[in-house]
Amino acid sequence: MLNMNGISKVYQTEMVQTHALRDFDLQVNEGEFIAVTGPSGSGKTTFLNIAGVLEPFTQGQYLLDGVDIGKLNDNQRADIRNQKIGYIFQGFNLIPDLNLYENVEVPLRYRGIKAAERKRRIESSLEQVGLASRAKHLPQQLSGGQQQRVAIARALAGKPRFLLADEPTGNLDSLMARQVMELLEQINRDGATIVMVTHDPELARRAPRNIQVVDGQIADFSLYQGNPAAVVGA
Amino acid sequence: MFEFRPIINALLRAKSGAILLLMQIAITTAIVSNAAFIINDRIAYLEQETGLPEQDLFQFNMMIFGKNIDLAKQIEVDESLLRSIPGVIDAVYINAVPLSGGGSGGSYNLLPSNEKSPSINASYFRADSHVLNTLGVELVAGRDLNESDVMVTSDVSELPKVALVTQAMHDEMFPQGSGLGKTIYRRDNAIKIVGIIKLLKGPWLQDERRDRSLIFPQVRPSSFQKFLIRTEPNERAAVMRRIEDVLLAEYPDRVIDVIKGLDQLKAEYVAEDTLMVRMLMVLITVLVLITALGIFGLTLFNINKRLKQIGTRRALGARKSAIIRYFLVENTLICSVGVVLGSAGALWMGAKLMALFSLPSLSVSYVIVTGAFVILMSLFAVIGPAKRAADISPSIATRSI
Ligand SMILES: Nc1ncnc2c1ncn2[C@@H]1O[C@H](COP(=O)(O)OP(=O)(O)OP(=O)(O)O)[C@@H](O)[C@H]1O
Ligand SMILES: [Mg+2]
Repeated sequence: MLNMNGISKVYQTEMVQTHALRDFDLQVNEGEFIAVTGPSGSGKTTFLNIAGVLEPFTQGQYLLDGVDIGKLNDNQRADIRNQKIGYIFQGFNLIPDLNLYENVEVPLRYRGIKAAERKRRIESSLEQVGLASRAKHLPQQLSGGQQQRVAIARALAGKPRFLLADEPTGNLDSLMARQVMELLEQINRDGATIVMVTHDPELARRAPRNIQVVDGQIADFSLYQGNPAAVVGA
Repeated sequence: MFEFRPIINALLRAKSGAILLLMQIAITTAIVSNAAFIINDRIAYLEQETGLPEQDLFQFNMMIFGKNIDLAKQIEVDESLLRSIPGVIDAVYINAVPLSGGGSGGSYNLLPSNEKSPSINASYFRADSHVLNTLGVELVAGRDLNESDVMVTSDVSELPKVALVTQAMHDEMFPQGSGLGKTIYRRDNAIKIVGIIKLLKGPWLQDERRDRSLIFPQVRPSSFQKFLIRTEPNERAAVMRRIEDVLLAEYPDRVIDVIKGLDQLKAEYVAEDTLMVRMLMVLITVLVLITALGIFGLTLFNINKRLKQIGTRRALGARKSAIIRYFLVENTLICSVGVVLGSAGALWMGAKLMALFSLPSLSVSYVIVTGAFVILMSLFAVIGPAKRAADISPSIATRSI
């Protein structure tokens, strides 16, 4: 489903060049649930942004569902994000002036889905995250965990096959974090492929596959398991 | 596609910024439509047809001294002297000059004063038979004055038996049928209308009498004199420079001043209106600029406040065009409400101005055109910031907290 080959990403500022990803290779198959861990600044968000077609990359090849992402123009990239990918952000990123219903509606409108179908989908995905009764509420009237569930509902409403989450539980207490994790596991069982960045080793362990990013590259997992210090010291 | 409903809902939840802009738009619409209307009204006034070749006409005043001088004779000598200057078409000794703000007027009736009849106010000119040619105005009916019509007298109560009237004066006195050859009265003096002038603005452009004038074939000698001269095109300045020398050489005991073109006299007379038009134009420009800047600034401010939201929208699949459209629609919604309120305000203000300053009533077309213009301007003001918003990277969604 996702195939990255020799991806590199260089951030160029006036003063410095940052190699956020270097020769990054990864294959993700349909239906996988992958947890990405690694030290701060190692390139996890960069990887996720490239995987989610939010940012261009400097070098390499990225195929998503067989589509060569590097060859797309801006509109095509927007359409891929809209149709194939769902995002869950650490900061929830709900739009404060829209109520929950309207928030979930945002990506559906961009896809040009008709009002009746939008309504059906919004209601069912709010149902799925247990917030159907609060559709008229504004985000700030909800707890963090509830807000994140709305964000998940928004990601689900478009029925994406690929779900990306950057520290989805980073702003939540452990109880709420567990609820969100359970929700993600449910979504994965329903067929979506999930890549989740997390700092929480406990959550990472619950994912069937773990990868670790260190210094812009995927660390050798067996090495990590055998001798964590070897990686940290790298 | 245009997201009207969510945009309206979001606006209603975060009103403060929108309300400020809305009020600014409303005030701009109200003031600009009234100002534009007044400007147009004043420009029509300033540029009205006078019937006169203003560029070729000039006047001067003269005070003549000397106990033994025969004024009537001297006037005749001076007139023929002036008429002989190269470049001069014609010249007359005259009591008042059109467009100058100074002149005389009287009231005229269809019947003598012992019988009741409606009276019409008009300004009048007194000069000899060269007057029509000097003024350069057009006769539409009847005949010009001739030398035998001219009455030379110092007796104030005496009036000549014939006169020319302007078409406007004629139409007021004879709403039905022709008054040519008919008699009108100044008190008990009968005056026969022998000719009708197409258009001749009188001394006072701002007066109800501006179009109603009579010309009497009469010379009333006085030592305070006024002359009107018409020159060939482009010869006026040269002639104006020679006047003093020519006249003083003929008879030295006199003082000549206020040698001024009719266009200059008119400009002085309408100076206040010209100033008002300029000030209103500046006001409109400043207001429109401030409003445009306000829209521009508010949109930029909104964009900066919503960087993350815009990035998130992009991440969720908004194309750049959708972001631009969002801001255009949002702005147009605010502006439309502002324009509607402003139009109501404009009409109210127009009614007040009409009552206070006896202006004509504001025509609705000005409000409509101004409203359309304000909306168009707001679109121009918002397009730049909106494009900037569209260029925000979707990665802002994950990068900022
Ligand atoms: N827009 C940018 N411009 C310049 N450098 C950047 C930019 N974004 C990220 N970087 C740099 O790229 C490197 C990788 O950053 P990234 O955000 O991917 O790390 P991360 O693994 O997500 O870290 P964290 O766990 O703290 O979120 C860092 O050194 C960061 O400073
Ligand atoms: Mg990160």
